[in-house]
Amino acid sequence: MAQIEFDGDGFLVNPGIWNVDIAVEIAKEDGIQNLTEQHWSVIHVIRNNYLEKGMAPMIRVICKETNLKLREIYELFPLGPARGACRIAGLPKPDGCV
Amino acid sequence: MEKLSQEQIDKALKILKMPADSKLVTHLNACVHCGLCADSCMYYKSMKEDKFIPARKVELVASLYRRYCTLTGKIAPKLVNARDLDEKMAEEMVDILFGACTLCGRCVKHCSIGVDIAYVVRIGRQMLAAMGLVPATLQATVDAALTTGNNMAIPTEEFVDTIKWMEEELIDEMQDENARIPLDEKDKNILYTLNPREPKFFPLSISAMAKVFYAAKESWTLSSTMYDVTNYGLFNCNDEEAGIIARHLHDEVKILNAKMLVLGECGHGSRANRWEGPNYLGMKYDFDMITVAELINDYIRSGRIKLDKTIIKERVTMHDPCHLVRNGGLLNELRFAVKSAVNDFVEMNPHGNDNFCCGGGGGQLAMSEYNDRRIKIGEIKAEQIRKTGATIVVTPCHNCVDQLMQLNHHYKLNVKIKSIGEIIADALVIEK
Repeated sequence: MAQIEFDGDGFLVNPGIWNVDIAVEIAKEDGIQNLTEQHWSVIHVIRNNYLEKGMAPMIRVICKETNLKLREIYELFPLGPARGACRIAGLPKPDGCV
Repeated sequence: MEKLSQEQIDKALKILKMPADSKLVTHLNACVHCGLCADSCMYYKSMKEDKFIPARKVELVASLYRRYCTLTGKIAPKLVNARDLDEKMAEEMVDILFGACTLCGRCVKHCSIGVDIAYVVRIGRQMLAAMGLVPATLQATVDAALTTGNNMAIPTEEFVDTIKWMEEELIDEMQDENARIPLDEKDKNILYTLNPREPKFFPLSISAMAKVFYAAKESWTLSSTMYDVTNYGLFNCNDEEAGIIARHLHDEVKILNAKMLVLGECGHGSRANRWEGPNYLGMKYDFDMITVAELINDYIRSGRIKLDKTIIKERVTMHDPCHLVRNGGLLNELRFAVKSAVNDFVEMNPHGNDNFCCGGGGGQLAMSEYNDRRIKIGEIKAEQIRKTGATIVVTPCHNCVDQLMQLNHHYKLNVKIKSIGEIIADALVIEK
């Protein structure tokens, strides 16, 4: 991934270049060796929300659209929805205490 | 860095020359470079570079003071090690004052003569803010609060949907149709506040507090627009912006005619609202403001809520947020709350007023530019936690929570991180 540029927090500098291979590589850095169907469902909701509205979705939207429970999402992404899931989905780092 | 304009330089120097502020001159002149502060600083302890010694941070600002505010410095700057405010200096100041200080204030406690080093760093940051040199990621968080009322720019409708969702969960859990999370209700006893990361990503801490309010039969409300307890204006050190943000909550208390403002679990937000707010706004607040930990303690002491210490079986430690404990004096209050909820409580070493910062304070968590340093200095905190043998770390600050979550993952601590509201809710006995 040498040619891909990340910010200091490891988020993509140019979210537009995101693809499935990049997601897999970032996930491995976070210790997620295999992205399951459930992982992907979360990633796609986040990605689509970003493309549509320019920001990460609320966790409520992620739960609603994936039918996953809050705790399941925290278990799927140990670093949480922001530094975990949003980073894998190729979003810029959300502002605030995350 | 682009060349500094004369206008930028003048704006920065105006802060140094504030005639009303004798505190600055006193503290700049008082540091004798003894170096006792060195080992108090997480940056110096972790990286052992002289530039991270707190006295060196003071010296950056002091050298400018000598250059522009003393006769010898104006005539023969080299004689007194006075430095020009140029691009090189500004770059160094950004890197050290923004990028290598969490404003935790531990060095202040270790200074043999009590130089308020964190205050001097804040003056340096103020100068950089006046020149428009705040790191972009930190400024973005301030801008979001200024333009939308919350630092994550959450649209009101999405916030309301989340609160309604949490209310449904509360009704289910309490099996009571009357369980509520009130929004925008007037004339209540309490206006409660949140860190935006709660509704955005971690709403379980909202439902935990709703459960506590339910058990205490409290008269309370949230605002659907002005609920953000944070104020990153404390960190970018643009006091004008900090004042605009502080006014959000002040005015919302008035609009909703609440009796009391209760500050959600946020270290710097508690300081920015309760202790700095009146300074920012230049007025005394005519309503009470307390942190949620103090409120919970009132409930426990007066018997409004009952806790069962035997529910939580795990060993618990707590992390003291710098702005609540070292800088806010809530040492015993925070312990009373946590110890009321758990049996097996163990302290970190050191803790309380001498506690180490989580490493994410001072705006560090928001500044991607200095991520590597933040994780590096966090190793001190990680090892403190590991040595306690605890499996739950409680901390009443969502900024600390996020940093501890990352440390937990990075340093493989295998602990759970909880807010005080969450640990209290876990131990709560609901009497019907």
